[in-house]
Amino acid sequence: MWNFSQIFDQARNDLASANDASSLEACRLKYLGKKGLVPAIFDSLSSALPEDKPAIGKGANDLRILVVALLAEKAMALGKGEGGKSCARAVDLTMPGVGPALGHRHVLTQTMTEICDVFERMGFAAVESPEIETEYNNFTGLNIPIDHPSRDAFDTFYLEAADSSAKGRNLLLRSHTSSGQVRVMRDHQPPLAVIIPGRVYRPDAGDASHSFMFHQVEGLLVDKDVKFSDLKGLLSEFCRRFFGPQVKMRFRPHFFPFTEPSAEVDISADIFKGTGRKPWLEILGCGMVNPKVFEAAGYPSGKYTGLAFGMGVERMAMLKYGIKDIRLFYENDVRFLKQF
Amino acid sequence: MKLSLNWLKSYVDLKLTTDDLAHRLTMAGLEVEGVHAAGADTVLELEITPNRPDCLSVWGMSREIAAITGKSLHLPRIKAHKPTKDKISIAVEDKKDCGRYIATLMEGAAIAPSPPETSKRLSAVGLRPVNNAVDVTNFVLMESGQPLHVFDYDKIAEGKIIVRRAKTGERIVTIDGIERKLDPSILVIADAQKPVAIAGVIGGKSTQVTSATKNILLESACFDAGLVRRASRTLGLQSDSSYRFERGVDFEGVALAANRATDLICSLTNARVVRRTDCFKTVAASRRPLVVGISDMEGLLGTFLAPARIKMFLTSLGFTLRPSGKNIFRVTPPSWRNDIKAGVDIVEEVARMVGYDRLSEGLPVIKAVNVRVDPRPRAVKETLARTLAAQGFCETVTYSLISAEMLERSGLENLRGVALRNFLSRDHSILRPSMLPSLLAVVQTNINRGQKDLRLFEISKVYSANEERTTLGLVMTGRRGRDWRNHSKDAVDFYDLKGAIEQSLGRLGISGQWQAPTCPVLDQGAGADLWINGKNVGFAGRISAQILSRWDIKAPGIYFAQIDLEPVFVLPAPGVQYHPFAAFPAIGRDVSIAVKTDVPYARIENVCYSSAGALLKGVHLIEEYTGDKMASGKRALVFSLTYQSDERTLREDEVNGLHQNVLKALAEQTGAVLR
Repeated sequence: MWNFSQIFDQARNDLASANDASSLEACRLKYLGKKGLVPAIFDSLSSALPEDKPAIGKGANDLRILVVALLAEKAMALGKGEGGKSCARAVDLTMPGVGPALGHRHVLTQTMTEICDVFERMGFAAVESPEIETEYNNFTGLNIPIDHPSRDAFDTFYLEAADSSAKGRNLLLRSHTSSGQVRVMRDHQPPLAVIIPGRVYRPDAGDASHSFMFHQVEGLLVDKDVKFSDLKGLLSEFCRRFFGPQVKMRFRPHFFPFTEPSAEVDISADIFKGTGRKPWLEILGCGMVNPKVFEAAGYPSGKYTGLAFGMGVERMAMLKYGIKDIRLFYENDVRFLKQF
Repeated sequence: MKLSLNWLKSYVDLKLTTDDLAHRLTMAGLEVEGVHAAGADTVLELEITPNRPDCLSVWGMSREIAAITGKSLHLPRIKAHKPTKDKISIAVEDKKDCGRYIATLMEGAAIAPSPPETSKRLSAVGLRPVNNAVDVTNFVLMESGQPLHVFDYDKIAEGKIIVRRAKTGERIVTIDGIERKLDPSILVIADAQKPVAIAGVIGGKSTQVTSATKNILLESACFDAGLVRRASRTLGLQSDSSYRFERGVDFEGVALAANRATDLICSLTNARVVRRTDCFKTVAASRRPLVVGISDMEGLLGTFLAPARIKMFLTSLGFTLRPSGKNIFRVTPPSWRNDIKAGVDIVEEVARMVGYDRLSEGLPVIKAVNVRVDPRPRAVKETLARTLAAQGFCETVTYSLISAEMLERSGLENLRGVALRNFLSRDHSILRPSMLPSLLAVVQTNINRGQKDLRLFEISKVYSANEERTTLGLVMTGRRGRDWRNHSKDAVDFYDLKGAIEQSLGRLGISGQWQAPTCPVLDQGAGADLWINGKNVGFAGRISAQILSRWDIKAPGIYFAQIDLEPVFVLPAPGVQYHPFAAFPAIGRDVSIAVKTDVPYARIENVCYSSAGALLKGVHLIEEYTGDKMASGKRALVFSLTYQSDERTLREDEVNGLHQNVLKALAEQTGAVLR
């Protein structure tokens, strides 16, 4: 059995009396070298009594830790000029590195960019569209009549300012980026493939999952032979690129006045860690552009088909990054901002 | 909508488990949002989209389930009751307001509580049982989707029913005991004297059926959807009845529901039918068949479906199909499907019955598109954001809606935000005309939480009456940097902010000009306006202490800048060109001078360049000193001059000569004294 307290004392003495680089190296070899004391103690384990083994193992480890620490301490002291010139100043490897503070893009802009990138690589052009809108662009041009229950889903903020293009009507804050579809189709003939990212507004009382302001990315593809199968393929590809190749999704019939057939896309919750979620999570709405919308845009009847989709950026970011409260996005606590 | 499974099972064979049923319905567009037990019954919570009012009923859902599962549907037998006397007097003032009105008078009713079976059904779907006549109207409403109403006939003045607009100032006390003010935008059912019901929304108290009622008048009608919707909104009252009317009811179902309810009321109350009037004012929009081609369907869906399958699905949903040429059908939707108006609507019906998951999937070919987007605004925003992030700025996303009070607190009461008419809260009632209030709010939040070293930016919009302008907002406060080797408690100052802006704009090839500030929010002598290409685009500087105290922000200094990016977007992109660097060595000379503080640094630079000539390539400020060793009104400046030629190596004496000129000019033109 080894007398560890004596060995430790000896090690402290050896290191205390080492005053230059070569004597430090000698100490290192004596204890930690291939033929040093620490390996020798470990070697003795094989022939030791079983009841002694734990103590020997611990002793050898403690000795190693002690010697490493004392060597580092001594090397530092020598480096500061207390010892001979032969010992270069050693850096403390554990001190923090120094660099300019880096900033962070907001997780919403990052997510929006990520979404747009997928579609832009496929050939869609990103366009901007105003937030202050007319009733025509936000509703009528999208086959959502005034005083129709389908408007209930799009409660809207109205401005005090009147709409100079429509008598007796006021301007509003767009309740979806779909208003941009109307503008794009008014200004351009097919073929067209655009995405429209931006802020939208709805008078929803705020809670962990609702906000009166949020962000959407709208998509619109119009050409002579766009099919529902294209819609499925395009959005499946998007989901795989955004959430990863293992994502499971489903297309479920839904209703939007501006698309027919319409669908909602759900993704399976099993790719997300954590419990308490529903098995399917709705992520976006989509469909084939309703011919009435083309009619309103003045496109020749029956000539074109199109697909459209819209998704909430906050929702995508919350799912992807495990953010449970939508209000965190707009609070801008730097402890939140710096995580992305 | 709540749907009782037991009720459903009386009309359709249901062999599926509840989970399977919920899944099949969801995948057919009738989303089941929840399933819960109600005694021995199970209730499905359905989200019925606004285009499917026909599914807001047990019969409607039974029809869908029969079609989805291929099972048969058994709707109840309805016994016809023949009236014994003449018609009732009904006047419909405007047939656009009310397309159909069926009134049935039943006499000798014994009003009592409903039998337990009926009460149980109603309770399961959340309706409170009242009595055997009223309960029948709710029962049949749930069953058929057709809203009904019963009046105590003896309370109806002169036994007259008039469907008309309310007169200005007319009032009615409704069944819920509330007196409501009416106006001509609201359609009412009136007797000879007064309104007795608000059409399609709620009945009046004075004519409601009570235990004392003997003679019952049953109303089954079809009111204009928009009119009911506006009345319901105006009165702030949504009922099961208005909910269905505003979505549209089945014109032919009006008679069916009337007969069903009449049959049930007669059997439950022992009343007998004496009079009946069907005031058929308009013919239901005559349903023109829609022409649907198999190839059109394949063209839109991208999936081939056999004509026999299409026919089977549509027939099971109540559509009638007649062949019209090869692979073309003439399809007539059933009366309850007001949502089917075009060929694409039929395509969707087929697609949802097949199941979207079974339809093909492929990638679209995206051709050269006709939309040309100016890439500049996005490039400008991206470059600025990237450059700022590289300089330690965190991007924020703040609400575009703020309050007038926030504007005032920020010293911007002279700006007018664009006001909302229907804001949720005053805190978010105007569109911001400036980024300052939003960013001050973020600074306040962070400082209150102990985060005092802040560098933040946002690129988003500020608003005025008819304009949205993309704007850069920047804010800095706290310590300049963190370096344990060179610990400094120095706080950021104007030059940090100016530098951040110059570096970011420099990336865009833009150098702005700084001029005396005009914005009142800055502390005197601690800010500037920024001009680009002859336009004032914004300002930068220290926010005045008065504003900070109004925000209750305790910080040594908050530096803020706002730059309008719209003028930047229209500047041409910098055409970066490579310049060969000089092949000959540069010679440096440091200069240390004392000069009056009112001599601007730019003047000193100019004097250097003009006195040295073309061989002076650079002037770099090294240090400014204004400590106690300087006489008051003076500062010391240390800067280095770089001399270099592109053609040859400069001689020492040549540089000395040039440098002497510079020193002399500085002394003569700026009053500088060498230190």
